Amino acid sequence: MTDRLKVDKALKLIAKLSIDKSSQVLSKMIKSGARIDLENVCVVDITEATEKVIGQSDQEVVGAFIDLVGDAPFKFLFYVNVADSLVLTDLILKREIGMTKIFDVYAQSAVQEMGNILSSAISNVFSSDFQISMAPTPPTVINDYASTVFTEYIMSVAVDKNEILIIESVFNIVATNIGCRMFILPVGESEKILSYVASTM
Amino acid sequence: MAKRIIVTDDAPIIRLMLRDILTYNGYEVIKECNNGQEAVEAFTELKPDLMTLDIVMPEKDGIQALEEILTDDDSAKIVMVTAVDQREALMKAIRIGATDYIVKPFENDRVLSAVRKALCED
Amino acid sequence: MDQTTVKKEIIVGMADLKVSKAPDIITTSLGSCIGVCLYSPTQKVGGILHLMMAYAGPAAQREGFKKAKFADTGIPELIHQLQAINSSGPKDYVAKIFGGGKILHGIVRNIGADNESAVRSILKDLGIRIVAARTGGGKGYRISLNLDTGKVSCRIFGAESEEF
Repeated sequence: MTDRLKVDKALKLIAKLSIDKSSQVLSKMIKSGARIDLENVCVVDITEATEKVIGQSDQEVVGAFIDLVGDAPFKFLFYVNVADSLVLTDLILKREIGMTKIFDVYAQSAVQEMGNILSSAISNVFSSDFQISMAPTPPTVINDYASTVFTEYIMSVAVDKNEILIIESVFNIVATNIGCRMFILPVGESEKILSYVASTM
Repeated sequence: MAKRIIVTDDAPIIRLMLRDILTYNGYEVIKECNNGQEAVEAFTELKPDLMTLDIVMPEKDGIQALEEILTDDDSAKIVMVTAVDQREALMKAIRIGATDYIVKPFENDRVLSAVRKALCED
Repeated sequence: MDQTTVKKEIIVGMADLKVSKAPDIITTSLGSCIGVCLYSPTQKVGGILHLMMAYAGPAAQREGFKKAKFADTGIPELIHQLQAINSSGPKDYVAKIFGGGKILHGIVRNIGADNESAVRSILKDLGIRIVAARTGGGKGYRISLNLDTGKVSCRIFGAESEEF
């Protein structure tokens, strides 16, 4: 098996474990069934990836950016459209859906905290399943176009590369129509770590 | 008289959740802090009965704030709050002198149990 | 205008450029990146370059180098591609520039401002006049260049759409 295929295999395993853990944590947080589906684990050209997001209209979202630092640095992004962030706030606060009517500091921090908790769950997968020491940094929250959020997310990696390895997941929360997206992007030395993980499989 | 608590977390929604749980159960939340630096200053000024302290925060993290508070007052009652079972950070916090910890997402009962234990109300 | 010509919307991703003719519309979305719009009012051809960084430097020697990623290689490439669809027409291009915001506040270096500065310098050296600019700030931009009119509609997140 080529190195590239091995890394892809490792990435898919990490993605699956991360998503399983994230689903458990998410369901616990919102006291509702939640399913996270793996949409993409692939190498994608930066132009192609951003063209797709830009072409999908000017959706307004709230995104939480977190850097997972440690032995295998990753960048994490969780985003949801503004209207759904209000529903998410009600779910987290265990209120009747519809009570949060404006995008306020609580709605913004609902996304912040979702990002924080999900990225921490993923870093926990690295440490417990692969003995790779990782920790999340405090989240940065941005309220902007989905395309701006995504391009800024990949910016630091895309400066040096034309292709990025990316894991994309889609959330579906039972009893609501909330759609959220989560991305994990290995940075720098991570690919060596992924090769190491692949070699142990 | 209600026990006085300071809540520290960089996420307003978490502070709101903790405030709601604590005030509903008879505690008084005297201040909310956004980061470790504010927490250290507030603890010095207000001398609460207990503080809840998030670990991952901007400016000054919870571990550093914990160290500074306990250096100044080794009887301080601090319950750490963490987004994941971060064993290393939590063990460090307990070694330094944190009283207990809560893992996010938390249940109301777990919050109350940690607070009551820290305040010797069990 | 040919009655059978269908207007299409062309999307430009990061580190890319697209050119076309009237009545097409070219659209992109920007954060710290700069969007350089070039347009010939007489020929109704134009393009948008979505660049990420100012100067390519040693990156230009690497395999798979994307000219459109950088201002100093992207702008000449944009002109080159415009020449290809406007080979006999006058080179009366005018420029409009957008974007270059500082979206992530934790980052010390203001990439957007650096990008804008480089773009202005390069366009000046090429003798291309900047007739409109909307840059900076802390929010994203969504711009569309109408190749029939040369106007650019620009909507900064949270604000009303403006036409340039």
